Amino acid sequence: MAIPGLEVLYSSASLRGTGSGIRRVPYLSKLIDTSTCIGCKACEIACQEWNDLPNTKTVQDGSYQTVPTMTAEFWNLIQFREAEIDGSFAWLMRKDQCMHCSDPGCLAACPAPGAIVQYSNGIVDVNPDQCIGCQLCRTGCPFDVPRFSEKTGKMSKCTLCVDRSVAGLEPACVKACPTGCLHFGTKEDMTALGQERVKQLKADGYATAGLYDPPGVGGTGVMTVLKHADKPELYGLPRDPTVPRSVRVVKNYLRPLGLLGMGAVVLGLVGHYLKFGPRQPKAPPPGSPTA
Amino acid sequence: MADPLSSSSAAGLRAVPAHSTADPGILAAQDKDDLVVGEELVRFRYYTRAVHWFVALTFFLCLFTGLPIWTPIFGWLAALFGGLQVCRWLHPWSGVAFAFFALLQFAHWAGEMKMTPADKRFTKLKNFLAYMRWETHDEEVGKFNGGQKVLFWMSSLASLGLLATGVVIWWPDYFSAPLREWSWVLHDLTFVLFILLVMGHIYLSIAEPGTFSGMVKGTVSKAWARLHHPGWFNEVTGERRR
Repeated sequence: MAIPGLEVLYSSASLRGTGSGIRRVPYLSKLIDTSTCIGCKACEIACQEWNDLPNTKTVQDGSYQTVPTMTAEFWNLIQFREAEIDGSFAWLMRKDQCMHCSDPGCLAACPAPGAIVQYSNGIVDVNPDQCIGCQLCRTGCPFDVPRFSEKTGKMSKCTLCVDRSVAGLEPACVKACPTGCLHFGTKEDMTALGQERVKQLKADGYATAGLYDPPGVGGTGVMTVLKHADKPELYGLPRDPTVPRSVRVVKNYLRPLGLLGMGAVVLGLVGHYLKFGPRQPKAPPPGSPTA
Repeated sequence: MADPLSSSSAAGLRAVPAHSTADPGILAAQDKDDLVVGEELVRFRYYTRAVHWFVALTFFLCLFTGLPIWTPIFGWLAALFGGLQVCRWLHPWSGVAFAFFALLQFAHWAGEMKMTPADKRFTKLKNFLAYMRWETHDEEVGKFNGGQKVLFWMSSLASLGLLATGVVIWWPDYFSAPLREWSWVLHDLTFVLFILLVMGHIYLSIAEPGTFSGMVKGTVSKAWARLHHPGWFNEVTGERRR
């Protein structure tokens, strides 16, 4: 609690809402420039090493991708896609990991108090001691990021190397990147850097270049520079991700209405009993046959 | 009261030793219902009661393990089971148990739950409200009234819905994201409506004294049967139309 940046801003299943009155610190952010990614996977290895994740057997499926999808023990995956864009062929690399949304759907969906928290520095983190492994965060996440570990019965995902970043270090993946396509700093600085890079790409002829920082989830702590930002689907990114409506329906409408309904029915039944009392059988009318 | 069993017209009652102090109604209510035993009628035999109580037990197990997952307002309930992690494990399995007993109960009762003209009259809103003011009396109301039959069909449907959506939430690997999302919404919606039904069900068993004994001892008083289920009373006692 006392570590600057790690004050809990917002906690899952909290009755108190968003933390207030805590010191405002800049949001931390990672910028991924896919236009300079060479797909070397150094970031994947650095992530495994720093986070003490075990070796993962690669899967050869005819692609330059290490494994088909992230797992509970593989939080950072360079996705590889081939695409034909305007008659020319392109290799599209994309760093798949937790996006650290400003408005995290996983946190909104989580029923376990304190199992998912958003720190004042913007990092969204899973607290395994509180996690109950219900996997509802998977349903809440528009990026399909949280993964369930059969081994531990808990969810896990990228922490933005919270243990490094609060000590003033960049995440392990950023440290390892040999081309400098990964950057780390405040959200403000990273947005500026990303936009500058977009400007360069546009000058280089990539008219559709842009910065992927979807507003539907309040912006993300992990932003991506895309050459073809008009078609994020090419990279496997959702066009306009939002926290699923079902999560909002359950949490914002069904829950309060349900509680209200239950309270109202309990009160109504007590009132009914006070007004009408028990319905007692009358004594049998005289002369009625008895068995 | 003379020998209460002597008045029973039913064959096949268990022989009661002369020195037995057991309640003859309870003994009679072991294997057969719809019998007259002294001043009582056998309403629910042992199997019926056992199934209904297992349904109730597993229902409340589901409820109390589910409520703390539903909202932290009920988080304190998790302590009854050893924490939220235990609830998360216990909830789906108690759901399976509930579905099992609910199925047994469905198979046991479905045949008796057809809506008769009297039941359809009962379920008209005006008549139901009059019933809730303790005003109606319909000579044709049988062993179950229209409200009980509607409760039976609605809770059977709700049980099926909770099972189907629960399986999707339990095994998210096998279902698509939209299916998982809307299963979650339906699971919550169904459970809230189900709770409201069950609240009314339990309330009426309390507000209409004598009802509970039908589910505990298996027998109800003649006066109770004449008031609440006159059609059934007449049928069993053979006092009027058969």
